[in-house]
Amino acid sequence: MDLPLSPILLFAGCGLGAIGVALSMPRKSVSPYIFGVIIAGVAFGLVMLGLGLKNPEAVPNYYFYIFSAIALAASLRVITHQRPVYSALYFVLTILASSGLYLILSAEFMTFALIIVYAGAILITYLFVIMLATEAPSEEQPDILTEYDRVSREPIVATFAGFVLLAGLTTLFAVGLPNVKPGDKLDAGDRQLAFMSKKVEPILKQAGLLKVGESVVPTRVETTSYGMPKDGDTTLDAIKIKAADGKERLLPRAEWPPTLVLSNTEGVAFSLINNHPGAIEIAGVILLMAMLGAVVLARKKVELDEVALNAAISRQRAGGEDDLGTEGPFARPGTGEGGAA
Amino acid sequence: MNSFSFLSSLVPTFAPTLAQGPLPQLMSSITLYHYLVTSAAMFCIGIIGFLTRRNLIIMFLCTELMFQAAGIAFIAFSRFHMNHTGETFVIFVLTVAAAEAALALALVVLLFRRKESLDGDAWTEMKG
Repeated sequence: MDLPLSPILLFAGCGLGAIGVALSMPRKSVSPYIFGVIIAGVAFGLVMLGLGLKNPEAVPNYYFYIFSAIALAASLRVITHQRPVYSALYFVLTILASSGLYLILSAEFMTFALIIVYAGAILITYLFVIMLATEAPSEEQPDILTEYDRVSREPIVATFAGFVLLAGLTTLFAVGLPNVKPGDKLDAGDRQLAFMSKKVEPILKQAGLLKVGESVVPTRVETTSYGMPKDGDTTLDAIKIKAADGKERLLPRAEWPPTLVLSNTEGVAFSLINNHPGAIEIAGVILLMAMLGAVVLARKKVELDEVALNAAISRQRAGGEDDLGTEGPFARPGTGEGGAA
Repeated sequence: MNSFSFLSSLVPTFAPTLAQGPLPQLMSSITLYHYLVTSAAMFCIGIIGFLTRRNLIIMFLCTELMFQAAGIAFIAFSRFHMNHTGETFVIFVLTVAAAEAALALALVVLLFRRKESLDGDAWTEMKG
């Protein structure tokens, strides 16, 4: 079998990557994260070089390598950076790079949806919460990093487990997938055009393929459960046209005008509305429930537990005049009205 | 090169019957495997981060990283199988990620107000 990558190279890459990530995790002493990042980068370069050398025409295709290198390096910094705010910002970089990968895969709609929703909305929420839930630096310690940010938990074991998983996944991909080639330019999505009479009609009229009195009959595309066209379906690549007297004729794909193409947004929209209407409803319910849940959680009055309360009391005693506020997050047990109820 | 052949019986070979034809220049030579390797690597980085980091917010950020990796795999499969369903599903992944972020972050703020700490280990008494 012709594998896309030599297994020795693959496992060497996984091992090197594991060492690199384990080295770059935050730890008590000075963490040698520069070396870790360099080693992980060498591992990535090794694997990608192997993939590129195996099919030499892949080497000049720079964009994939650039975007995936940025995405992986930024995601490595997400998990290794000691400051949560920087982690979130590196995650934005990961999002931008992977939206570049989406663009290479000609998924234009999802590219921009990803940037708007993820980088624009979700990450801003994260940044807000990070800034809300981080202790403010004081005068004498302007640069505090809490202990749970500075030291990671079991870096070596977790990295080992993660990269064993990675080696397993990539091996299975290598076995199962080398035969999958990208499909035709005219794809299953273009076949949906037979159903979109409103879009097709003006284009056909402009191209002079639709005579007076004729109209396009929408025909649903029958596909297998994999979304592939059924074998031997002759009406598949044709648009059904009905004349004024009721006669029907087929316009085969070979005669379609070149302007008749399905854009990515139309394809996604068609797939969304036509094939998954129930899922949209469920997504709406999920969002509504999340909103309600977040409101309920955020309105809840919280009592400090014993340890934190004592710490807060001693801190405020040391601070001086400030009396123990009973409002806001620092309500004492018994004085707050909401509490656990 | 044959060292994986014992595994091949376990794994279905996907869609060998795809039509072959001209492609946009940009993706003619990158195979699906490239994308899946990137996606798997990002997923594993997310898992490692989730296991090792102790800050609750970073742990949730790592789940977002795993969502993102799954999204890349979805889009790659969608393109290479010529089927828009994969892209459609990424929309639902985004929905779930947004809902999860809202709820999880509300919980994190609640937990922080109670203990004044974001340490995941501070809540070990909840393991039951």
